[in-house]
Amino acid sequence: MSTTQSISIPTSKMKSFLSGALAVMPLTIAVIPWGILAGSFALEIGLTAVESQAMSAIIFAGSAQLVALGMIKAGIGFSSILITTLLITSRHLLYAMAMRSQISPLPLKWRLGLGFLLTDELFAISNQAHGGDTPAQYQFDRWYALGGGLTFYIGWNIATLLGIVAGQSIDNLGELGLDFAIAATFIAIVVPTVKKPSILVCVLVSLILAVVCAVFAIQAGLLIAAISGMAAGMAYAKLTNEGIFDTDTDTPCADIAPTKEDTL
Amino acid sequence: MTWLIIISMAAVVFVSRHLLLEPKIPIRLSKNTLTFLSYSAPAVLTAILAPIVFVPEGELAISLYNPYLTCALVATVLAYITRNTLLTTVLSMGLFFFLY
Repeated sequence: MSTTQSISIPTSKMKSFLSGALAVMPLTIAVIPWGILAGSFALEIGLTAVESQAMSAIIFAGSAQLVALGMIKAGIGFSSILITTLLITSRHLLYAMAMRSQISPLPLKWRLGLGFLLTDELFAISNQAHGGDTPAQYQFDRWYALGGGLTFYIGWNIATLLGIVAGQSIDNLGELGLDFAIAATFIAIVVPTVKKPSILVCVLVSLILAVVCAVFAIQAGLLIAAISGMAAGMAYAKLTNEGIFDTDTDTPCADIAPTKEDTL
Repeated sequence: MTWLIIISMAAVVFVSRHLLLEPKIPIRLSKNTLTFLSYSAPAVLTAILAPIVFVPEGELAISLYNPYLTCALVATVLAYITRNTLLTTVLSMGLFFFLY
């Protein structure tokens, strides 16, 4: 194994990088229709091609981008868009919390880089990599995470570019049903996390309120539904004395439990 | 204005991802806050996906003739049984584009 990393990247790092890239590939493929939608929808509501691509390149958060575009289209104000973004992105606080023990000791450039790349998908593959082990029990591989994160970033931006190019030449791209890709991906992410009755309560409350708000065209529907769902789940857990940290799962809350020294 | 929105959103998203990775930031999230946050992913993702599935054309469409709903049900069953993200998304999207 080479130690001359200033000259070339040692093969073990390359290998980790590639295995991360490979691990995120299925999710990258699944996000393509969604990226196409993000690009074409941005053009449709009047953003320039550069602005449309910049959303994916700088913000790099699919759900926040699409929701914000919908709000811009509906003529909703700046502060409401930011508050909604904050809510949608709040789950990343939890991902960062769960990965804190592995990433915070790394040099600044790694913290900034992996922080920027920390998506639902990167979090998902970083958890797969160590199976059911807690963070303390496995060796976090920064090159694996970088390979996964960068691959997903490039895939998302290429898909957005496809959407921008296609959106300029094809009308009604939004009517192809690309938005189902969002629903399918989120169902695939949410269903396996429903491991406790309180999470089911949370999901059902959020679902019903989101549908009701959509039917009555209530603009703040996402905020109302998501916050109510979170509150309902928490209230149910408190009332039934449900365990907060289930130890044998790979949900974010389970990963936080072992890093107790951080919370004190 | 668009650039202001893009850059502000980027800042909010980046801070939420990066903040707790900084060793200098002392973590003062209480147990209650953590519990509340642990529900944010399922609640937010559900609140985004539910209107797409149930209200595709701006009206409530609880019907088996609504391909969004039927394919979402298929995806839910697949996700529940297989717990496999790729299989769930690819099969349900394939069925959707076949039906749609």
